[in-house]
Order: sequence, then structure tokens, then C-alpha cells
Amino acid sequence: MTFEIKINDRTAWVNLLGQNGNLLKVEVDGKIYQVDLLHTSDGTFSILEGGNSYNIELVPGKQPKKYTAHTLYNSYDLTIIDAEARYLINRKSNGTGKNSKTISSPMPGKVVKILVKEGDVIKAGDTAIIISAMKMESEYKSPSDGIVKKVNVAAGDTVQSDQILVELE
Amino acid sequence: MNHIKKILVANRGEIAIRIMRTCREMNIGTVAVFSEADRTSLHVRYAEEAYCIGKAPSSVSYLNIEKIIEVAKIAQADAIHPGYGFLSENARFAERCIEEGIIFIGPSPLVISQMGDKIKAREVMLEAGIPVVPGTRKSLNSLKDAMVSAKEIGLPVIIKASAGGGGKGMRLINNASEINKGLMGSRSEAKSAFGNDSVYIEKYIVSPHHIEFQILADQYGNVIHLFERECSIQRRHQKMIEETPSPLMTSELRDEMGKAAVKAAKAVNYTGVGTIEFLVDGNLNYYFLEMNTRLQVEHPITERVTGIDMVKQQIKIAEGQPLEFAQGDLNQNGHAIECRIYAEDPDNQFMPSPGKIHKISEPLGLGVRTDGYVYEGYDIPIHYDPLISKLIVWGDTREEAISRMRRALYEYKITGVKTSIKFMERIMNNQNFIEGKYDTHFIENNQKQLLDNKPPEDCEDMVIIAAYIDYLDKISRAQDNHKAFVPAQSRWKKLSYLNNF
Repeated sequence: MTFEIKINDRTAWVNLLGQNGNLLKVEVDGKIYQVDLLHTSDGTFSILEGGNSYNIELVPGKQPKKYTAHTLYNSYDLTIIDAEARYLINRKSNGTGKNSKTISSPMPGKVVKILVKEGDVIKAGDTAIIISAMKMESEYKSPSDGIVKKVNVAAGDTVQSDQILVELE
Repeated sequence: MNHIKKILVANRGEIAIRIMRTCREMNIGTVAVFSEADRTSLHVRYAEEAYCIGKAPSSVSYLNIEKIIEVAKIAQADAIHPGYGFLSENARFAERCIEEGIIFIGPSPLVISQMGDKIKAREVMLEAGIPVVPGTRKSLNSLKDAMVSAKEIGLPVIIKASAGGGGKGMRLINNASEINKGLMGSRSEAKSAFGNDSVYIEKYIVSPHHIEFQILADQYGNVIHLFERECSIQRRHQKMIEETPSPLMTSELRDEMGKAAVKAAKAVNYTGVGTIEFLVDGNLNYYFLEMNTRLQVEHPITERVTGIDMVKQQIKIAEGQPLEFAQGDLNQNGHAIECRIYAEDPDNQFMPSPGKIHKISEPLGLGVRTDGYVYEGYDIPIHYDPLISKLIVWGDTREEAISRMRRALYEYKITGVKTSIKFMERIMNNQNFIEGKYDTHFIENNQKQLLDNKPPEDCEDMVIIAAYIDYLDKISRAQDNHKAFVPAQSRWKKLSYLNNF
């Protein structure tokens, strides 16, 4: 079963060539690995490859084909691209790409102040909204020049991570 | 003497648990208070009793004096421990406790208000003969006042808020032309942060060390110090790493500063646990900076090298017991370091990172302690401090302590939220830190190495394999037909039957 897996900005082809219990032969982008892989049901992976011991923690994302993986020093965002995912990506061409017409907060927090209102002309880099979390205030800036189409939140609101706060036109 | 039977801890998070731990050891009942956002916080689960005191914002919960007093009476707590932050340095709170016949575990309201006013504190220390950073003795009245004082003291100077804390209302002045703007800025910031716009000027000490002395004082005038803590590793006036002994310290200077700290505490008739903060310059001149009339975040490193439980001492002093030891009985044994683990992203301008904890593995082994409060599945609220844990290690020497800290940081894994663990590792590998050559500008002076997030390992392909296997696993569970793949989680158990490849 071959799949495409997107890891951060790279897309890799993966295929399982053989299996004997926890010993697997896997091909990643043409490179063949023989690994000894064990994992718990909640995503703690131990992989031995070429004498090296790797510990990986796989955290399922909000959508079933998305993961965040943590190694000792790094974190990776992964997406499994199967036929269904490819269809969805093809259908809306900007599928997983970053939208430059919205402003969102990468973390949950509370809206302190909104500096724009609907109809305002905004320039790339202008601060549109201030969110506070854990006693720290962060300013969120417009990703592009445009007109404010919609403001989805009000001062004092609690927001979730990646919630769209301001839409631009 | 009052024997304390039940303590209400007017705080949350790690410090609330830290205090309750000692209460358990002393067979004292524990009462937690919590805001609506903290129902699932570990301090609520750890305590024997817990009461909700209001909505999430601390102004209507952890800072609500009357509500906390009311709960103390309902629960029949005979004492209140304020922890640090929140109401710990609020003289009015201490006063209200006394009025209601509840023991406030801390110094008298008079001392709290005296030391909370920085101009007043400087005045008291000057009178007691403690060296104070050169500066104005009174609050500044006008720009002309400020100009004259700045000239007298000599530039650079720093304008500070009298009611200040946490770096708010502070302005560095390098040129006389900046005084006007600095004065106005400092005033307005102080006014909005503390409701008090009184400011003063202090000489700016170039490349200072922030070194503090822990003191203990009973109700009978006995005062001792428990040596120093080096707290110069700071970011935006927030401490990140503390250690004791200080790499800068000499035994003569320790002796002298310790005596000054004891004298400072005696000058205000201090009781309980307190901290005298000093600035020390490159020539080992020291100056009184301020006094903290509460338990400090970094108290565990002092506990580790002296073997004395600071919270237990606080409780005993509050009960009216005399100190059980004299200065001569105390030793600094080995070296202790604390790293503060914050829920923030060091690779993204230290942006706060609240959210759900996916997994935690805590470091263990010889000489390691963690004081934390988060657990797997716990959602860190957005309303409070980003401190989630303190990692404290002890070693026979500074070198051993650093190696042990590196090892403990390697073991410490928290996923689901971003933490400062990575950043701490980079500090432990920084040559200047290893050599003990640092001052309060350490983070900015070593930015290049500290903010370098070049991946030190390359196992991307292994990560891809893990995700691939997990996905195959999901598919084979969803479909009955799993010819392509044998479900994996059972293989962990079957380890002993496995054949070779």
C-alpha cells in the first residue's frame, strides 16, 4: 500500500515492502529501511534502525489524516495523502495552503482590542487585533493589503486556536 | 503559641501544591480555592477540601479578598498561606486576615506596605546603613527635578515606578534628551499598572548580577540568612534559571552580603520567610534593590543545598515557634540549579502556548526534583501565568549539577503544548553559562546560539514511517480485511514471541 505523506513542507512516498511481526521493511522516497518498530495504542513509538534508537510521539490531529509528531528536539506536522485527500486538494486548489485573506490566532486566548472595523482599508503588516493569553498580549497583523470584510469576534471574547478572527477582501 | 490545624492556600498551580505537600507532611488539613477556569487544576484535586471563589479572571477570584476570607471561615481554616503573586504582597489582605482572627502566613501588614513602596523601602535601608543603588530619595515632582537628579547621579539612569514590579513602568535613559519622554512614559505606565504614578530615578548599573539572599526571621527577633541565589538569567525581567551558590560569589562577599541582608530584615522587624534582592556589579559592589515579603518561586534551590523546608519554617514561625537553628548551624551543601518550564514557544518569540497536555514524562533519578501541576489531558487555562513546572537538580559541584540538568531536560517530555525545555537545554550547553560568566544581559548577549533552532538530528524518515504505520493500523481496524497489515498495538505485548526478520 503506497501513500504520500506530507511532512512539514516535504512530500514523501512510503510503501511497506515486507513485515515479520514488529520487523518491517519500508521504502521512503526510494530509500529502503529495515526497522524494528513497536508502539503503544496511544502513539508512543519506539523505532530501531541501523542500531539507532528513535523515540517518536504521534499526536492525532483534529482531522483523521493529520498528525503532529514529536521527536527529541523537533515537532512535525504530517498529513496522509490518500485518494480521498488528493481529491479534496484538487477540488479546492488552495486546499491546505495558507489563506492570505484571513487573520487568525495560532493559540487560544482572549480578545483585548480590535483595531479595525468592517469596511476599513488595511495594509499588510497593520495590526488588526490584540489577543491576550497567559498575561502576554500578542498583536495580529494583516497578511495582505485589502479591505476588512468581516470581524468575527468582539473585545472580551474567548477564541480558540486557528479560529478566523478577521476576514479581508 | 497557636497550633495550626488547617491551612487555606490562597493560590493556584504549582505553588499551591508545593505548600500542600508540606501541610500533608505536618499533618495539617488543606483547603484549596479555585476559579471557574481551574476546576480541573491539580491543586483542587490534591487538597482535602476545595471551594470555588469566582469566575476565571483573577481580579474576581484569586484577588477577591472578602470571598477568600469567607471560604476560610466556612472551612474553619485557622491560617491562610498566600503563596507568591496574587495577594501575597497585599497588606490589606494580611490586615483582613488578622481582623478575622485568621493567621496570615507572612509578615505584618506594615512591613508588606513599607517594602511594597520602593521609595520607602530605599529610605528604610539607607537609614539602616545598607548600600542602596544611588538615586533620588523622594518621588520626582517635575521634569526639572528629574534633570537635576539625573545629572547628579550621572547617566545612564533608570526611571522606576515606586509601586513597581515585573519591569512595568521602567525606562532606561542614556541621554539627557530622553528624560522627558521617559518620565512621561514611566508615569503613565505606572498609573495604569499600579494606580500610582509616583516614580524615582536610580543609577543604571551596567552588566549587573541579580543576587538575592533568603532570610528567615521568627517572632522573637532572631534572623538568619540561608545564603544567596543567583538569578541573573532573565528575559524581560522574568527569571528563567536560578542557581546557588552564585558563580560570582566569594566567601568574603557572601559573609558581608548575608550580614547586610540580616540587618535589612531586622531594620523592619521582619518575620517569616523573605528575600533581599541585590544588584552586584562587575567589581563586586552590591546594592539593595528590593525586599520580597513572601516565598519566592525559586525557593527550592535553597531548600536543596540547606536541607531546610522553607514552607515548614513559614508555618512554624507563623505558629509562634522560635527558630530551631542558628546561623552557624547552616551550610551550603553542593550546588543546585532551577529551570523554569513555561508554556511558551522559544522559537516563536516566546509566544504563550496554552492548551491541552498530551503526554508528560517527568525526569527522575538522583538529585532531581520537579514542582509542577499539569497532567496528561489537562487543559492549561489562558488566564494565568505560563509557568507549568520547575525543574530543580542538585549536584556535588556546579559542573555535576549542569550535567545533571542536561540529563533531566533530556528526560523531560511534555507534548501538546510548546514549552521552554529546548531553550533551557541550549542555555545548559552555552559556553558562557558553563563558565559561569553571565549577567542580566545573558539572553540578549547570547541570542545567536540560544535562538538557533537548527534541528540537531535527522530522523524525518522515521517519523514518516511512524505515521504511515499508525495510518495503516487505523485502516486495518476500520476494515475487517487486514491482509496488508497486522494490527500493531498487540505486537507490543507479543514481544517475546517474535522471530527474526
